[in-house]
Amino acid sequence: MRNYFKLGILAAVVGGTLGLGTLQASSQDLELTIMAPAGAGGGWDSASRSMQEAMMASGNAKSVQVINVPGAGGTVGLAQFIGSAKGSSNQLFVAGITLVGASISNQSPVDLTEVTPIARLTGDPLVIVVPKDSPIKSMDDLLATIKKDVATTIWVGGSAGGADHILAALVTKAAGADPSKINYVAYSGGGESLAAMLGGQATAGVSGYGEWEGQIKSGDLRALAISYPEPIEGIEAKPLKAQGLDIELVNWRGVFAGPGVEGADLDALKSAVEKTVKSAEWQAILKARGWTDYYAPSDEFKAFIGSETERVKTILTSIGLAN
Amino acid sequence: MDTFSFLIDGFALAIQPANLIYAAIGVLIGTAVGVLPGIGPALTVALLLPVTFKLDPGGSIIMFAGIYYGGMYGGSTTAILLNAPGESASVVTALEGNKMARAGRGGPALATAAIGSFVAALVATAGLAVLAPYLVKIAVKFGPWDYFGLMLIAFVTVSATFGSSPLRGLTSLAFGLWLGLMGIDQLTGQARLTFGVPGLLDGVEVTTLAVGLFAIGEAFFVASRHLYKPEKPIPVKGSIWMTREDWKRSWKPWLRGTVIGFPIGALPAGGAEIPTFLSYTIERKLSSKPEEFGRGAIEGVAGPEAANNASAAGTLVPLLTLGLPTSATAAVMLAGFQQYNIQPGPLLFTQHADLVWGLVASLFIANVMLLVLNLPLVGIWVKLLKIPLPWLYAGILVFASMGTLAANPSVTELLLLTGFGVVGFVMRRYDYPIAPAVVGLILGPLADSALRRSLQMSLGDPMILVQHPSSAIMIGIAVVALVAPFVFRGLAKFRQDED
Amino acid sequence: MTQKTLRIPNRPTAMIAVVLFAIAFITYWDASHMKVRATYGMSASAASYFVAILFVVLAIGHLISAFKPSDIEVESADWMAVGWIGFALAGLIGSIWLGGGFIPGSTLLFALTARAFGRKALLVDLCLGAVIGVFVFLLFNKLLTLALPQGPLERLF
Repeated sequence: MRNYFKLGILAAVVGGTLGLGTLQASSQDLELTIMAPAGAGGGWDSASRSMQEAMMASGNAKSVQVINVPGAGGTVGLAQFIGSAKGSSNQLFVAGITLVGASISNQSPVDLTEVTPIARLTGDPLVIVVPKDSPIKSMDDLLATIKKDVATTIWVGGSAGGADHILAALVTKAAGADPSKINYVAYSGGGESLAAMLGGQATAGVSGYGEWEGQIKSGDLRALAISYPEPIEGIEAKPLKAQGLDIELVNWRGVFAGPGVEGADLDALKSAVEKTVKSAEWQAILKARGWTDYYAPSDEFKAFIGSETERVKTILTSIGLAN
Repeated sequence: MDTFSFLIDGFALAIQPANLIYAAIGVLIGTAVGVLPGIGPALTVALLLPVTFKLDPGGSIIMFAGIYYGGMYGGSTTAILLNAPGESASVVTALEGNKMARAGRGGPALATAAIGSFVAALVATAGLAVLAPYLVKIAVKFGPWDYFGLMLIAFVTVSATFGSSPLRGLTSLAFGLWLGLMGIDQLTGQARLTFGVPGLLDGVEVTTLAVGLFAIGEAFFVASRHLYKPEKPIPVKGSIWMTREDWKRSWKPWLRGTVIGFPIGALPAGGAEIPTFLSYTIERKLSSKPEEFGRGAIEGVAGPEAANNASAAGTLVPLLTLGLPTSATAAVMLAGFQQYNIQPGPLLFTQHADLVWGLVASLFIANVMLLVLNLPLVGIWVKLLKIPLPWLYAGILVFASMGTLAANPSVTELLLLTGFGVVGFVMRRYDYPIAPAVVGLILGPLADSALRRSLQMSLGDPMILVQHPSSAIMIGIAVVALVAPFVFRGLAKFRQDED
Repeated sequence: MTQKTLRIPNRPTAMIAVVLFAIAFITYWDASHMKVRATYGMSASAASYFVAILFVVLAIGHLISAFKPSDIEVESADWMAVGWIGFALAGLIGSIWLGGGFIPGSTLLFALTARAFGRKALLVDLCLGAVIGVFVFLLFNKLLTLALPQGPLERLF
């Protein structure tokens, strides 16, 4: 009866303790909560949980708890965080460029300029690809194709208004075509759009480099360019900047504290995050996950958020997703 | 032809005693967490993944496989016993499974689900080993137009769940379609029916709707009439094991479910829901006792459960060969693989064949372990229904709301859950079927985006849907399936008139 | 508008028809206010218009069948019990909305639902509900690291 049911759960409890109990590592007495404004398993969630792992393993925090508040590209979580973490010395928030775009296109009353930037963590390059048997061999070919007929140049990538869409719009604009006429077919993520690329249903595609790395290396997709400003070791495709296009766009993720966090509280958070980012544990995680280090300290990150917000807004307006 | 030697190596690793124990622990905790209502396999695997990190790679892959299968099976247990499906793919299982459980046949229902899952996973995993590289080539050729054709077929089959009145069935379906509109449109970023509520921008979660309509709606309904028609589920009637007849009625649905589930699961946007609907419809058509459908037909559990598990194995095809996660569970599994330095993708089968076959062997072992551990537990699970009615429903409500809160801790979500509970009550009271609403919510957005992607790629020309032979054939099948019953009825009438 | 002389044999169906018309109208209104247009193919509003039309058709269907005798037999209901469950769910929502946390909410949910099914031992059920609530909370927050809503009570753990 009931007891049996509890017995089953008890087995889980015991099993769970075995594994999770060993996660504890003691050291500094920071007890943190990191909010990931997305569901379990996504990019921000894994960044949060990696941060949790690295902070505890490197001894920069005593305990770290991750809470997930999914919804509306992160704006639901951001609104909640701004409310609950005002002046709080022990709450962090992980987010990235998608949240900048989502705040604008969802007309959210809150955006990332209202929270306190702590550090920029990672920045993954986006890649522009064409199918392997496409007549398009280079960026110049792609630009010429766009210029010839922007409507029949079918782009595939992640959701509307996301980083992929923004990059496609920037390239279209650079080709001299009207970005509002771009034929961008949005998929729910790099997975589904990959199938559309391999199936030859699209002219060109945009995604995080890591997501399509396998197909690029095996030759099923031809990478034309990456959006990172400098060449990256191990990636053959050249940056757009090196190919004469003044475009850079990085899918960055960073960590924030609540509004109005100042003084000793802020310094404690900054130094804990900085030490974590410089730790061997964090570097090992970057390597294992294939993330590119894009660290920037608090002040630089703050200026970056400001300029990025402006830039994304301009682009989204030009493709009709914001006004 | 190294495949088999790799597979044998994989098995040699997997059956070491320590690894068998890891598999057993994985299956147990996977089942225990997966059994909580509202917590599907994706969340189960996500939550328990950190547990496996502490083991050596071999042990951890095996434990991971165990958690995965345990989570899948746990989800169907709640669907059958408590009518609270933890994931959209077990919605169909709840339809017949819960009816069986209430009639004292929970034992056979759980057993046919467990054995069906086992058979399906076994066949499908073998299929994965042999067919993966070929299947994936076909799968990526599937364009938006083909998905639209597939959705149309799925829509037509929904009518099997309509019950006595087409008008009420269609209304339920329309309600689901309407809910499916809610949220940000994936293609254009336009918000639909969100009324300025940020919590609605992501749309309605299928599990929230299913748990609300099924579990909470039912609590309302049973409470509303327990004074007049006291209804007590019968915990056990007859054998808690499957009878000879149960076996006879189950084995074909298991195999048919597998055949339907695996290829559709292998499609990059196939999913696990459509095969379960298709299987349910087919079993209903082929059953020797169609009158039992809606009242607890074992075929209605055996087929969809097999289809669900086979499609889960099918999702491993694009996951392993393309690195393409096609379901929430697959996305979490991808994270798991990366943790073991398996980078799924086109090069995986050639570069890391040992790891792939080690994984396949682990899946086999975990699958066997699941059967060994869970069949004896069936007797214990069905006793849950012996809990006095007030506590049983009070417990169901607590666990259902907890599952919803765990996935998304917001008041909006709870309000939706309660709202759906009230709607579910009204629907039950006035004899509206519930399953079509859930189907509408799942298929509506898929069909919408497939159609619009097609038209976007053709610059608005609808002919694209019939220019591709594959989509033309599927749309043709859907039209025939829709029209044929009317034509046959008309013909029969015509003959009668002639006589 | 309701004509007293006109007898509607099937009132619930007529009510549902009205609800369906309302949904159709809301959907149409929402679709007509959409700003983002797809550059190629159909916009997001197309599906909304389709569903709105579907609802109008279904509403008309309901209206027609409202004038026929009902084909289903609706049983009398114990509205007290339904009310208790509504009250129970409201207890949970209220507790979380007001920051009371998960444990008091689920305690109320459990005890009041048990009450709906005719149990009178409210105190026993409250205790039982609290035990389950604490147990679930600890399981989720401590072991599974899934954050359930916290109030003053939960912060003690």
